[in-house]
Amino acid sequence: MTVTTIHPILENLKTSEINIQESKKALSFLEKLSFPTRKTEDWKYTKVSKIIKKKYKQSFASCGINPIEYINKDLDAINVFVIDGVYCTEHSDTNSLEGVFIENIGENNVNYNTLVNNEIEIFTAINTAYAVNGISISVQKNVEVDKPIHIININTEDAIIANTRTLIVLEQSSQLELVQSYFSKNVKDTFTNSVNEIIVKENANFTLTKLENEGEGSYLIALDQIKQLSDSTIQINTITKRQGFARNDVNVLVDGQNCATYLNGIYRPINKEHIDNHTRVDHLKPNCTSSEIYKGVLNDKSTAVFNGKVIVHVDAQKIEAYQKNNNVLISDQATMNAKPELEIFADDVKCSHGTTTGQFDKEAIFYLQARGISKATAKEMLVEAFTDEVYNEIKNKNVVEYLKEI
Amino acid sequence: MSNTIIKIKDLHASIDGKEILKGVNLEVKAGEVHAIMGPNGAGKSTLSAVLAGRDEYEVTSGSVEFLGKDLLAYEPEERAWLGLFLAFQYPIEIAGVSNMNFLKTALQEKSKYLGTTPLTAREFLKRVKEKASLVELNDKLKNRAVNEGFSGGEKKRNEIFQMAMLDPKLAILDETDSGLDIDALRIVSKGVNTLKTKENATIVITHYQRLLDYIVPDFVHVLADGKIVKTGDKNLALELEDKGYDWI
Repeated sequence: MTVTTIHPILENLKTSEINIQESKKALSFLEKLSFPTRKTEDWKYTKVSKIIKKKYKQSFASCGINPIEYINKDLDAINVFVIDGVYCTEHSDTNSLEGVFIENIGENNVNYNTLVNNEIEIFTAINTAYAVNGISISVQKNVEVDKPIHIININTEDAIIANTRTLIVLEQSSQLELVQSYFSKNVKDTFTNSVNEIIVKENANFTLTKLENEGEGSYLIALDQIKQLSDSTIQINTITKRQGFARNDVNVLVDGQNCATYLNGIYRPINKEHIDNHTRVDHLKPNCTSSEIYKGVLNDKSTAVFNGKVIVHVDAQKIEAYQKNNNVLISDQATMNAKPELEIFADDVKCSHGTTTGQFDKEAIFYLQARGISKATAKEMLVEAFTDEVYNEIKNKNVVEYLKEI
Repeated sequence: MSNTIIKIKDLHASIDGKEILKGVNLEVKAGEVHAIMGPNGAGKSTLSAVLAGRDEYEVTSGSVEFLGKDLLAYEPEERAWLGLFLAFQYPIEIAGVSNMNFLKTALQEKSKYLGTTPLTAREFLKRVKEKASLVELNDKLKNRAVNEGFSGGEKKRNEIFQMAMLDPKLAILDETDSGLDIDALRIVSKGVNTLKTKENATIVITHYQRLLDYIVPDFVHVLADGKIVKTGDKNLALELEDKGYDWI
């Protein structure tokens, strides 16, 4: 057991044993890395000072609670639990699907820690250095998983740091839908530092829908690092409900031709919640499309950030990349920071991006009122209509119902 | 007295400090159709906006009694529940809200307010079918988002369809004829005339006499510079058409 004192929040944390060599490397990077400040371009509008001032503890008890109440029957999913950052095998379904392996990430897993960049990203390095364990999901060649897999993360104690780690590999022509939910049990000052590494091989089809709902007193930093090979399709949906702080990074490396990449998000912060969505799509190869819709409804004194980067690399011709970010500010005191970024180094591409931030259409509200719909209901109807554009992108209607119900 | 639907007394209203209505008096009884005509800028649309409850307008003095109640004390949605309907001059497009969901919600909230039994799904659909045919609104339009992608005429027909669904005590048609071709005008007027009963009333606001060939008024009022300056029967409208508003 190695105890480091490089950063105060990491004091007394036990080093990850998923892969000793990788965690040691991550620790050595951490010695040189510092936490982002306002001057760090990618963190300009998101302060982490609150998170790093706190002291956290790891949990090692697998399955501290019985999580049955978190199962949503209508989802008809294979349920996998992560409690206080620890993969709980006892209550998880594991062997019920043919051609799909859900297991602990083993020391000899060749894909582990190959996509992420521990050398630069401090929170990723923390995850690699301190993850108690991790989940590996691999889908064999030509296997189409007909039920979604639902990873349910629950934080049950105050001041827990949950370095959840997931590795997903879809072999050629396979298909998987994953739902990843984040909850907490009336706790505060928890910090979930989640890393997903996702490899989607040739002609495979992957959908990930994240539901972030840990409550107002919880911090969440989540990274999806994805690599797509030829003819593959991915859809990543990030739905943030009650979450005091969230920073989401969805990074997609499109490393094959004829790929389709769909990134969608909804965030509806209230009170003083802060939600930051960063996306980055790197088109390395020609003939691909990427499409993004992120929508925000901001209330009270909440703040949100959207930063969508699309990089079309040299020789990645015939790329079509679309990006849209629309926001509604319900309160005068809410703040939205939106920044779409396009970097194009190829000459035969179709790209567009647009971002809008406005208020509710007063005329529409009055029209609904004049027909006998109360102001509160009118606003709800308009919010629903506004966010439905994103929900409509999600094919599995059970998942949409689940997201709306929570 | 008991059959008075609305009684407007010395109504003054302004927007951004500018007085638009300068003492409007008007009484409408059950079974009557009143037309309010007048030049642009006379305050016709302001009058309908104030009655419907738009909060940009400030009522500085005067009163409006609607079915014996102090109308101005109510929120716009409450006015609708009490039985006031305004057909908009420019109906609003609302993306993502279906026409049906919109009407269902409106009717549900109304019956909740009035404490009446809400329509069953079957009754609702039956009513939709019956009322849509009144203004020749086809299924495609019924099921689309509210007014989204509707032509000018379709929007106005949709207004009358909504009016039919909500069954108001007083319908105010604000320049419903503007921009309508003759076929749409005929359909809209037929709808309005069919909905007319001895228990309800209609106020038709228009700039042109043409509409009044189809919806025949019992009274014609001329609104000029924020006041009703002349009242007559339908012949007054013809006279106005002939001589123009300068004659007043």
